[in-house]
Amino acid sequence: MATESSSSSSSSSSMKDAFTKYADYLNNQNDKRERIVKASRDITIHSKKVIFQVHRMSKGNREEVLQKAEKDLAAVTNQFVSRLVKELGGTDFWKLRRAYSPGIQEYVEAATFCKFCRTGTLLNLDEMNATLFPLSDPSLEPLQINVLDYLLGLADLTGELMRLAIGRISDGELEFAQKICKFVRDIYRELTLVVPSMDDSNDMKTKMDTMLQSVMKIENACFSVHVRGSEYMPLLGSEDPTSFILGVPNVDI
Amino acid sequence: MKSAFRNGYFTLSRSLNPNPNPNPTLPSTLFSLHLIPHSSTPSVRPQPFRSVSPIGKFSRVSFTSMAGSEPYAPPPLEKQFEDFRAQLEESGTLRERIRAVVMEIESTTRLIQASLLLVHQSRSTPEVLEKPKAQIAVLKELYNRLAGIVGESPGLYYRYHGDWRTETQTVVSLLGFMHWLETGALLLHTEAEEKLGLSGLEFALDVEDYLVGICFMSNELPRYVVNQVTAGDYDCPRKVMMFLTDLHAAFRLLNLRNDFLRKKFDGMKYDLRRVEEVYYDVKIRGLAANGDSVERPAAQGQP
Repeated sequence: MATESSSSSSSSSSMKDAFTKYADYLNNQNDKRERIVKASRDITIHSKKVIFQVHRMSKGNREEVLQKAEKDLAAVTNQFVSRLVKELGGTDFWKLRRAYSPGIQEYVEAATFCKFCRTGTLLNLDEMNATLFPLSDPSLEPLQINVLDYLLGLADLTGELMRLAIGRISDGELEFAQKICKFVRDIYRELTLVVPSMDDSNDMKTKMDTMLQSVMKIENACFSVHVRGSEYMPLLGSEDPTSFILGVPNVDI
Repeated sequence: MKSAFRNGYFTLSRSLNPNPNPNPTLPSTLFSLHLIPHSSTPSVRPQPFRSVSPIGKFSRVSFTSMAGSEPYAPPPLEKQFEDFRAQLEESGTLRERIRAVVMEIESTTRLIQASLLLVHQSRSTPEVLEKPKAQIAVLKELYNRLAGIVGESPGLYYRYHGDWRTETQTVVSLLGFMHWLETGALLLHTEAEEKLGLSGLEFALDVEDYLVGICFMSNELPRYVVNQVTAGDYDCPRKVMMFLTDLHAAFRLLNLRNDFLRKKFDGMKYDLRRVEEVYYDVKIRGLAANGDSVERPAAQGQP
């Protein structure tokens, strides 16, 4: 009995030692995750602000608004994405992906949104990742946005583009709305082919449904203007019929 | 998608029909679009919706020309998505290879599990352990293969982690149980890695998986104790109780998040309680070996 009890107490102390190690490991991991969640949240908040800024665009102030948005976006990159990069410290990109994925998706959304409004084209993943290189310490593995987060961000982008398109239509920029419509359809079509092979595609599948809704909203809006165009004149939104007549001289579509 | 497509079409015809009063006084040249001002038949304009479908090249071309914007040119957009598709399909193939190995791991653990069930039927422990111990070599080989596959793409361990997580937790619980039956001590993380031949590999045993596996092992112990007592081993409850008490105390050193591991750990106290009850039943009837039960009076006080 005596030998057994001594061996059991020594095994219990080696158990304690081992668990102290596990505790350290878990503490570090959890702290890191917590910091990354915070960084990700900051990226989300500030990316949303960039998106709102882009929405302030109207016919007259386009350049000015976009410039500010791009400046804000650069600030998000330099301040908040770089903090995420620092917190990740070149490791655990996949392990902690869930912790930072929401922020990165929002950031992708903001960056592609700005780029589309500027050039009418899609900002590629490679181009985005190239801007992230300088953020990390050259000795560490740099943070690169993975395909999944990029695609999830793009899926959200269509929602913003829908809002933008509706806004542009009521502002009379029909051609721009048409362009948005085409762009969103292209993205939707391309994504239908990619989604089935994505890692856990459930998230993405719901996003695809929402995206189709957005595409259809834009299309319906374009359609309405197209068919009932005569009723949609510059001072749209006003119920007052005289405003329509007043608006005529300003037509410069 | 089909039904959504149809919905869209209906919305279209609905929004078109209640429009019997187009304003003819405005010249359509005001718009950059080529308007069809009075169209009230839905069939005239379903084209835009067709390009939603995957085979939309034709209708998109017709739409762009209709909208009068810049001529259609194959955009670089498509190129990028083609790359993505290739990339994702490649990782899909890798995943399939991983799953194939994991399925073998799973069937091996089932074999082990089945042979270990014999401990509940009062066979002698060494005799029971003989068969499952032989399977450890198989597991080792399988994990080696898995490590090889995952090692092809360094840094992606946690991308595919979910594919072997539950199976590995089961593996740990079985190894831990066997180890405990043999030595009466807890299988440590490093020892578990050693048994699976993972020491020093990039493909390591995740600590949380290990801990969850240990919790699973603890779930096995009440049943073991009950059956051992039935078979006449009255000292077993005391040993198991001490072991579980130590293990529970060790787990309490961890700061757990509100996750699966936390839930499993919370379940451990019920295992401990059940074992304590068995111990109590045995003790109060004077069946347990006397003497050393006072050795750890604190044990009874554990939650």
